[in-house]
Amino acid sequence: MTTHTTTHEIESPAVSVHGLRRRYGERTVISGLSLQIARGEFVALLGESGCGKTTLLRALSGLDAIDGGRIDGPKLPAVVFQEPRLIPWDPLWRNVSLGLDDRSGKPLARAALEEVGLGDRIDDWPRNLSGGQAQRVALARALVREPRLLLLDEPFAALDALTRIRMHALVRQLVARHRPGVLLVTHDVDEAILLADRVLVMRAGAIAGEYVVSHEAGRSRAHPEAQELREHLLVELGAAVE
Amino acid sequence: MSEAVNSLSTPTLASVTPAPSTAVVKTPPVLGERGFLALSWLVPFVLLLAWEGFARLGTLSPQVLPAPSKVLLTAWNLIQEGRLLSDLGSSLLRAIAGFVIGGSVGFILGTLVGFSRLAEALLDRSVQMVRAVPFLAALPLVIVWFGVDEGGKVFLVSLGVMFPIYINTVLGIRQIDPKLIELARVIGLSNRTLIRRIILPGALPSILAGVRYALAVAWLALVIAETIATNSGIGSLAMDAREFLRTDVIVLTIVIYAGIGVVSDAIARVLERRLLAWHPNYARRSAL
Repeated sequence: MTTHTTTHEIESPAVSVHGLRRRYGERTVISGLSLQIARGEFVALLGESGCGKTTLLRALSGLDAIDGGRIDGPKLPAVVFQEPRLIPWDPLWRNVSLGLDDRSGKPLARAALEEVGLGDRIDDWPRNLSGGQAQRVALARALVREPRLLLLDEPFAALDALTRIRMHALVRQLVARHRPGVLLVTHDVDEAILLADRVLVMRAGAIAGEYVVSHEAGRSRAHPEAQELREHLLVELGAAVE
Repeated sequence: MSEAVNSLSTPTLASVTPAPSTAVVKTPPVLGERGFLALSWLVPFVLLLAWEGFARLGTLSPQVLPAPSKVLLTAWNLIQEGRLLSDLGSSLLRAIAGFVIGGSVGFILGTLVGFSRLAEALLDRSVQMVRAVPFLAALPLVIVWFGVDEGGKVFLVSLGVMFPIYINTVLGIRQIDPKLIELARVIGLSNRTLIRRIILPGALPSILAGVRYALAVAWLALVIAETIATNSGIGSLAMDAREFLRTDVIVLTIVIYAGIGVVSDAIARVLERRLLAWHPNYARRSAL
């Protein structure tokens, strides 16, 4: 963890994982994984399907028990899933304030929905939303709790390309403002370079590579550093094209 | 970019097809919305008039089917005597009592079984076995147990109402999206909040469908129970009338039963529309 910039190290980490192990029956899915994410740091986790990304995320979110190691972090990190998972019978503000105190919840939900550009829809039903809008509500629901750790489980995978670009900008903005530690699980190398301060490559249940993304590389896909990193990551993931 | 495309394509389109004036956008249907509505009411009205006409001409013997006007007059007389309303009242009370008791039992059992594998193992098979018995077959036994008292009729209605509510409650709870339950765990909802905010509202469409079905069953149970053994209520009115060959009263009781069925179904519909405003299938007239 000495590779990234010093600003992150001043604060206590958002989460630190030591020697995490996770088994499904006989099969070991995660073996001795260690990881630290600082507050305000954006970490992307790349890896092929079945490499244990989702298992790691479920362990961090507290959905699954772990078989060994230690996770020091918030008991209830905020999670945004691949699907928005909105409650269809609750208007948007009730969705966002789910789990908050009923009285203080509404103004908080309103503010959070305004942040994601849906401030005028707080009484609307989820069925009236597009996919991108629904995912924005899910983001508002995650951030309304001011989480120390935000887990994103391929949250943009189901969106169309244009909506995805808009969501990237929005997520960047929100993370800069709320400064949670972020772990983004994704298949998309470009997305990882664009959003993350640090990209981790996971293979066979362990971290196989770690890359710091410079500010300039994260700004533009055309930046030579970004292109080089992209090539490198694709090789790592076994998806390089000759 | 998109603006440029629009400004290019609009004039082209306009020059090919001249903007239609609002008056001739669609060819009007033969009758229009209101016309069809009127027609749909006209048919039963004409049938009713024909019935009245044939009865007055004597083609229909009053012993077989009295004229609608005669039935109305009979209703008026019975109201004046005070019999109709008191009989209607005791029938309604029985139905409501039976519905509340049977509905509560069905809902509670359904909730238990829906939530707990243990409760399912203990209860579900037995409930399903009892359900397999046509509940009206229990009628003679009910009469032996309760005589012609209120208890028997309320029991029969409860029995009929219980099963649809039970089954639909179990089904509704089982159909909840497991992803929403996972979400609740990630957010850290307590079990009580989970039930209140996610499970019961999610099961509600199914439960309300059960309620609607149960209402129909309740009336059927009541008609049968009151017709077999009773000394008050709409059914007893019909049975007394049968002894004196008062077909006008009999027809009146049938109409009343039908009317109650229509009203209770309408109540159930209103409930669905209000409680399920979020649901795409019920949301036709919601504000949003």
